[in-house]
Amino acid sequence: MSTVDYTQELSVIEGKPPLRELDDLISKPIDAKPTKKFFIALTISGSMLSLLLIGLGLTFYYGIGMWGNNIPVGWAFDITNFVFWVGIGHAGTLISAILFLLRQKWRTGIARFAEGMTIFAVMTAGLFPLIHVGRPWLAAYLFPYPNQHSIWVNFDSPLLWDVFAVSTYFIVSLIFWYVGLIPDFATLRERTNNKIKKITYSIFGLGWRFSNKHWQHYEMVYLILAGFATPLVLSVHTIVSFDFAVSIMPGWHATIFPPYFVAGAVFSGFAMVQNVLIIVRKIFNYEHIITLDTLEKMNKIMLLTGSMVGYAYAMEFFIAWYSGLPIERFTFINRAFGSYAWAYWVMISCNVISPQLFWSKKIRRTIPVMFVIAIFVNIGMWFERFVIIVSSLSRDFLPSSWHLYTPTYVDLMILIGSFGFFFTWLLLFTKALPVVSMAEVKATVTGSQPSHKDH
Amino acid sequence: MISGKILYSYTGIFDTPDQIIHATEKAVESGYTKYDVNTPYPLHGMDKAMKLKPSKLGYVALVFGLSGTLATLLTIWWMSAIDYPIVIGGKPLFSFPAYVPIVFEVTVLSAAIMTVVSMLFFFFKLPNNSHPLHGTEYMKKVSADKYGISIQADDPKFNESSVKKFLESVHATEIIPIYWDEEEVNHKNKILEPKFIMFLIVVAIITSGVTYFSFNKLMYMVPFNWMMDQPKLSAQQQSPIFADGFGMRQPVAGTIARGSMVYQFKGQPDLAGVKLVNPIPISKESLALGQVKFDIYCSPCHGYNADGVSRLRGQFPNPPSLHSDKVRNWSDGRIFAVITEGQNTMPSYSSQLSFDERWAVINYLRALQRALNAKESDVQ
Amino acid sequence: MMSDFQKSSNKLWKSLKDYNEDPEVLKAKTNEFLEGVTDDFDSSKLSGLSRRKFLALLSASAALTATACTNYRDKGEIIPYNKKPEDVMPGIANYYASTCNGCSQSCGILVKTREGRPIKIDGNPDHPTSKGKICAKGQASILNLYDPERLTDPLVLRKKTDWKSVDSDIISALNNSQSSGKEIAIVTGEITSPTTKKVLDDFIAKYPNTKIYSYSLINDQQRRDAWMDSYGSDEYPAIKWNDSDVILALDADFLGNEGSYIENMRKHALRRETNGKIDFNRLYVAEGRMSVTGMLADYRFRISPDTQYEFVMALINELSSHGSSIVLDSNAKSKFGKYSLAKFESLIGKDNLNHLINDLNKNRGKSIVYAGDTFPKEVHVAVNLLNEVLGNTSLYDYTNSFKSLVKHSSAEEISQLVDSMNKGKVGTVIHFDSNPVFTLPDDFGYASALKKVTLVVSLSETENESSAAGNYSLPINNQLESWGDAYVRGGVYSLQQPVIAPIFDSRQKEAILLTWIAGNSSAFNEDIYHNCLMNSFNTDVYSKANTFADAKSFWNSALNDGVVNITEKVLSVKFNIAAFNNLNDLTSSKDFTIHLHNNYFIGDGKFANNGWLQEIPHPVSRVTWDNYAAVSPSTAKNLNVDNSDLLHIKVGNRNLTLPAFVQPGLADKLISIELGYGRTVIGEVGKEVGFNAVTLMSKNVQPSPFIFSDASVSKAGGKHELVSTQEQHALDDTFVKDFHRIRRIIQEGTVLKYIKEPNFLHEEKEKLFSITNEVKYTGNKWAMAIDLNKCTNCQVCVASCNVENNIAVVGKEQVSKGRVMQWIRLDRYYSGTPDEPIASNQPMLCQHCDNAPCENVCPVNATNHSPDGLNQMVYNRCVGTRYCSNNCPYKVRRFNFFNYRDDFADSYYENDLTALVNNPEVTVRSRGVMEKCSFCIQRIMEARSDAIRDNRPLKGSDVVTACQQACPTEAITFGDANDPTSPVAKLRDHNLSYHVLEELNVKPNVTYIAKLRNTHSEEIL
Repeated sequence: MSTVDYTQELSVIEGKPPLRELDDLISKPIDAKPTKKFFIALTISGSMLSLLLIGLGLTFYYGIGMWGNNIPVGWAFDITNFVFWVGIGHAGTLISAILFLLRQKWRTGIARFAEGMTIFAVMTAGLFPLIHVGRPWLAAYLFPYPNQHSIWVNFDSPLLWDVFAVSTYFIVSLIFWYVGLIPDFATLRERTNNKIKKITYSIFGLGWRFSNKHWQHYEMVYLILAGFATPLVLSVHTIVSFDFAVSIMPGWHATIFPPYFVAGAVFSGFAMVQNVLIIVRKIFNYEHIITLDTLEKMNKIMLLTGSMVGYAYAMEFFIAWYSGLPIERFTFINRAFGSYAWAYWVMISCNVISPQLFWSKKIRRTIPVMFVIAIFVNIGMWFERFVIIVSSLSRDFLPSSWHLYTPTYVDLMILIGSFGFFFTWLLLFTKALPVVSMAEVKATVTGSQPSHKDH
Repeated sequence: MISGKILYSYTGIFDTPDQIIHATEKAVESGYTKYDVNTPYPLHGMDKAMKLKPSKLGYVALVFGLSGTLATLLTIWWMSAIDYPIVIGGKPLFSFPAYVPIVFEVTVLSAAIMTVVSMLFFFFKLPNNSHPLHGTEYMKKVSADKYGISIQADDPKFNESSVKKFLESVHATEIIPIYWDEEEVNHKNKILEPKFIMFLIVVAIITSGVTYFSFNKLMYMVPFNWMMDQPKLSAQQQSPIFADGFGMRQPVAGTIARGSMVYQFKGQPDLAGVKLVNPIPISKESLALGQVKFDIYCSPCHGYNADGVSRLRGQFPNPPSLHSDKVRNWSDGRIFAVITEGQNTMPSYSSQLSFDERWAVINYLRALQRALNAKESDVQ
Repeated sequence: MMSDFQKSSNKLWKSLKDYNEDPEVLKAKTNEFLEGVTDDFDSSKLSGLSRRKFLALLSASAALTATACTNYRDKGEIIPYNKKPEDVMPGIANYYASTCNGCSQSCGILVKTREGRPIKIDGNPDHPTSKGKICAKGQASILNLYDPERLTDPLVLRKKTDWKSVDSDIISALNNSQSSGKEIAIVTGEITSPTTKKVLDDFIAKYPNTKIYSYSLINDQQRRDAWMDSYGSDEYPAIKWNDSDVILALDADFLGNEGSYIENMRKHALRRETNGKIDFNRLYVAEGRMSVTGMLADYRFRISPDTQYEFVMALINELSSHGSSIVLDSNAKSKFGKYSLAKFESLIGKDNLNHLINDLNKNRGKSIVYAGDTFPKEVHVAVNLLNEVLGNTSLYDYTNSFKSLVKHSSAEEISQLVDSMNKGKVGTVIHFDSNPVFTLPDDFGYASALKKVTLVVSLSETENESSAAGNYSLPINNQLESWGDAYVRGGVYSLQQPVIAPIFDSRQKEAILLTWIAGNSSAFNEDIYHNCLMNSFNTDVYSKANTFADAKSFWNSALNDGVVNITEKVLSVKFNIAAFNNLNDLTSSKDFTIHLHNNYFIGDGKFANNGWLQEIPHPVSRVTWDNYAAVSPSTAKNLNVDNSDLLHIKVGNRNLTLPAFVQPGLADKLISIELGYGRTVIGEVGKEVGFNAVTLMSKNVQPSPFIFSDASVSKAGGKHELVSTQEQHALDDTFVKDFHRIRRIIQEGTVLKYIKEPNFLHEEKEKLFSITNEVKYTGNKWAMAIDLNKCTNCQVCVASCNVENNIAVVGKEQVSKGRVMQWIRLDRYYSGTPDEPIASNQPMLCQHCDNAPCENVCPVNATNHSPDGLNQMVYNRCVGTRYCSNNCPYKVRRFNFFNYRDDFADSYYENDLTALVNNPEVTVRSRGVMEKCSFCIQRIMEARSDAIRDNRPLKGSDVVTACQQACPTEAITFGDANDPTSPVAKLRDHNLSYHVLEELNVKPNVTYIAKLRNTHSEEIL
């Protein structure tokens, strides 16, 4: 498998590999000792993670003042990062749930991995609402529990919706992921001879024994969960977009936000999955599981969602003009030509222009190019949130209150560190758990299902 | 059978999905009810082959989902409209549209959790790592790439030889008997193991230590801030700034606070009697105030009726009755001087009674005196 | 087979026994899923042992955790009075009338104390000139009492010592000076107290070699000299601003920081009343710099201070041609005959000039021309003549004239002192609460001469430049610890009483002198000056007062009132035309003109260590924590400088490098700099704040010590960042131009328009509706109205709010990041051109919207609506998401990004002493908490509890917010909107009332009364 012809179209699982070989291939990273490459990667992500820890420590000890936030720009990198990471998470659910419902078999190779990314991305995202508050030790106030103030939470607040949406999303994703993992844990349990591993897998495998009486319910539950996850994933970014859309700030208060945010989330999520998968399939030799076909299909989705996002940008401008509200108009002119115009144009070129290259089939199937475009998309989508949040806040209703935002070193540490946090989890995931669902892949291999011919 | 071991089931291994489907169909035909098919992944058509009824988990999801919806709506309604109603942004106390997102999320959450929980723990009775099938060669194979059927010993039609024969008839590549794990069967858990008790104690000490430290020390260190220790001085607090530690200070001698009265006849009660004139006319309000203050401050010694019936039961020299001619003939100003400065063992009541209150007490006292020594003219 | 199984079953565990015997369990064990198994879930059937263990673990932990929580934190002891003062009730405030020492205006103050500690200073309503209002300095000066860097003990050569040895050392040194014939120099600021003057006289009597030098950096000496020349007395009258129909202010910031500006503002505002008949005055301002008065002007002309003399002369020439109320001799006529207005026609426009001439001409006797304090005597004399020509002297009010107790020392006198010091003829220098090393121009050489004096004693509250140059630093009482009196205005004698005993080992400054006069260190006692004051009062005031009261009662009632009105002969004067004829003609500058003038908040540097005052934004430029060289936009372009670029200024051999600030509306080729900044020996707060412009001043005062011609100015290279609380947008930046008008943030009109169409503001108004039912507020509903016609941008409300609501000082760096904490901000917008800007001001504070957008978004209900219509903050509930601030269209919420008391200047304000300044009724907010204007809810609650106690309904008029109380022009009205008779309810229905960003339908409860400009047009320029 040393050289692969990337222009050649492959099936979901190439050929008819013996099932045990698939197991071996998938569990190889888990069974084998970590390689040097892994440790280098872990060192890099670990040091990025330590930046996060230092940044968070400083913020926790001294206060939000360590960041560049101010009045009027109450949110900046913190919520930008939050929305960015929540968005990254969406691709995973989309791949595993929506594509499952749509019976897209090509998802099987990447579903587990994408789900894992969802979990880690939501964990990363979940950090930010927690640390961005002035007194993080009071974060429990965000939950409706009987307390000494006798007061309850405000169910009208989009931030509270966020709390429910993100925690629901995290829990359901985790459950979904875990339910998918149970048979694989059981497989691993049976494979291993290492005592500690055996105990660990036994605990997490819950004593699964591949009973077909179980499989029947299991498949039903998987379907139900996929059915839940689909509206959930749409609702989560919709609710995240409500953080802005429900407010009265010019540039935030827009009905287009929910679909626009969901499309953007899928867009950036696929780009991130794309980036990571390209590396993973190379390192772990999964070219026959995560096929070029799969990557191409993802590129098509990126082209679609990228165009949707571009449409939304155009629509925002149109509506601002059409509404006739001078404040709204100014906000958008300011976005494109004001103090943060550079960020706006970075966003436009990365999000709208670069994915258009995917119209070409050749580019869709050229790994280095799609890798670069996916990175651009990620950068662009980060800036999209930055532009929405910071440019709107820094130039709102009363010119007397205007103030620009400049990030501090702590802001940058936390931004870089959030990637460290995400990738450290991801790296550990690749070493600890099967990154491809063994049961599902086996089920899709040619000849793995009964032919139902006469015996 | 092997003596000492308890048979659980007979299993047969097959190589292809078609074979296992065929074997299952045959097993059902043969009337086996207590059997199971184990495959590394779900096989299409197996439900039909095993004649399984459709899963009821969909109903579980529906029930828990709907109860989540209802419970959330009720909770939110109770919290924001009943228990602690607060006006938020001028909206009605129960603003249904705003609750849709949360209601939806909780619906999904409760349905998802409860469906999975019911599946795993009620439908499957998991976790169960002590099932006889675990750790067997059979399980190793069916977890990877083989397909197996296991016919249990407690099946009413179970008969070792016939089962074996049956498995052979459906071309099982391997036929393996599965036994209960003896060790597992004989294992006993004891709650009072010394080791466990020790563990319990260690956990308790660590928990209480950590809790004590965090709740009483850590949570009051920087950066934790609860705004409990306020850098301000409320009434009756101490302050290290002042040598005596009293946060409350005495006004500087000779200063006059706005509206405060100055008693200018210190040590000259007779002069006060001449010069001071009662500025408060006798009125219902004044008498009522005077009565309240008299009952609080004067009556313990002078008695409710100012007749010298002390409630102090002789702990002090008996105070005089205020109905004496002397007091009755005193001017209001003279009495004022006594209240203000005290007399003999009577202390000053200037801190307790304001100027107006002192005059009110005097008015009330006059009324008492008159009541007890009514003249003829009063009767009319 | 089955029997074997049964046999062995006896040894098996219980469930396996069941397994054999009970077909149900059997079925459950093997089939795993039962039908409807969820219904008969029975815990006893589950694997029991491990769960029991778990529960044991859990309960053991819980029990021990509970025991660990029993230690409740000690919150200190409760310490009641052991001898309760008669008037003090714990928790109830007392008020003391007193007099402010902050500047020479000696306004009456009312000090609020709690349990014997002062916590707030407000104006004394009984004071005849200040009428219950004081300036921002006076408001914030309470922080000086609690400044941790006050001198706590007498110091000799910076070492602590005790008073006894200090007194005896100094007394012997004084005697030595006296016997050796050396001079004893007492350098003091302006003396406002007759009793202090007596003490000084007594000092001279005891030590006849003593000379008194009175010098203050900010002074009105030019004006006094002019009045001396014109009218033969240096006592000058107050102006009846409220009777003036037309005012022409010549670089006179009489509504900003000159003279008795609080009084001026009040009187001026009487002619900006929109209730009832519109009877506005018309304010013309001709000035080079951009002052507060200039911002308020109906017409503003850019005239550089060096050409003002010509302007006044030309006006006299023009107006006297239409007649004169004073006989003008030929000398006078030839003197002003040279000047013509033609030069100014191009500068200020023909129409504008005609308006001015016509208005002055038509309103003879009802107009006033007023020149600024910084102008040379010549301009003042000319202005006096102009007022005489116009017959405006009827607007002079001599009953409250400005008195002078001790004459300001001239430059010659001070030069002589320095000379004597250099020659060793001065034995002792006493700095009597003054700081001459800082305030005297460098070329006197005072600082170096001081080294030649053996005994330099400084009486001051804190170490300063002068005390650091001497050997004795003696701590004196703060004004709130002092007895005193003041007589600065005709007919007004005010008293000062201490409201707290000296916190440190400090003494009343006069008491120190009295001790030395007694010549015996044990002569001191706490009441030495108190008695002296009472004696002086009895002889000077009581004896002249026409009263039946006895001396003691009279004194007590005077202390109660804080002020005594005395009747005295009113000066009557006649203009001496010769004074005009003998004037030296002034010529205009060829190169740059430098104009030094008073700053707005830190006095002559006296308040430089007051963080509250340093942080109040400049009323015009919004810059805080700095002074700067203001230059006009076109001059800045020529000099190639932008904001914060350093400028080098050279006048003669005097230099100063300081940052430039591009100020729209400034005259070209003019540099305008504020004095009082750049203190060097000062506490942590004032250190390295601003640049000392005194270095540009000279002992050669001709013609004015504050205005220099022919200066050279160049770009110095480098930057010094100026920070402001409002972004500086170039006025010609079309991107953001006139937003306040386009967005209808500030609505304005003209008087003519309003008279013609009173409802012009509401003509295009659309009705807003809500999709939900409105919440009904029964009972009180609090609301505020702010009259933009009256608001002068003086920032007194900001200062008052800071003190009342325990608002933290954040420091320059945090201001630059946009994190200022003040709850009220005074927004300033420009329209028009960079050269001729029109400024509009607006106080912006929490609008307490009925449909508050901030409330909707708070996840924890920390901000919500009270039943009386307040948008309230529950600090303890706030976790600090900052969403409320993001969603506030007015951006009036303030966030504690740090624990600011800890963050600012190495925890400068986090100490037990400064903690005493905090209002006990207001929570001190910690880091991570959002805060904002609360409509002084503590005052509402206090009024409510009073009403409940007195068993009466709470009325809107019972509550006075801190800003409202402080507002010198009564621009702020507060009250109950539900009470149709209340002033605030009437203002809400006023024709000129509007709400900012009304179209958002947030329903603000702060109503603004649109500003009317009294121009000759129906359109705003």
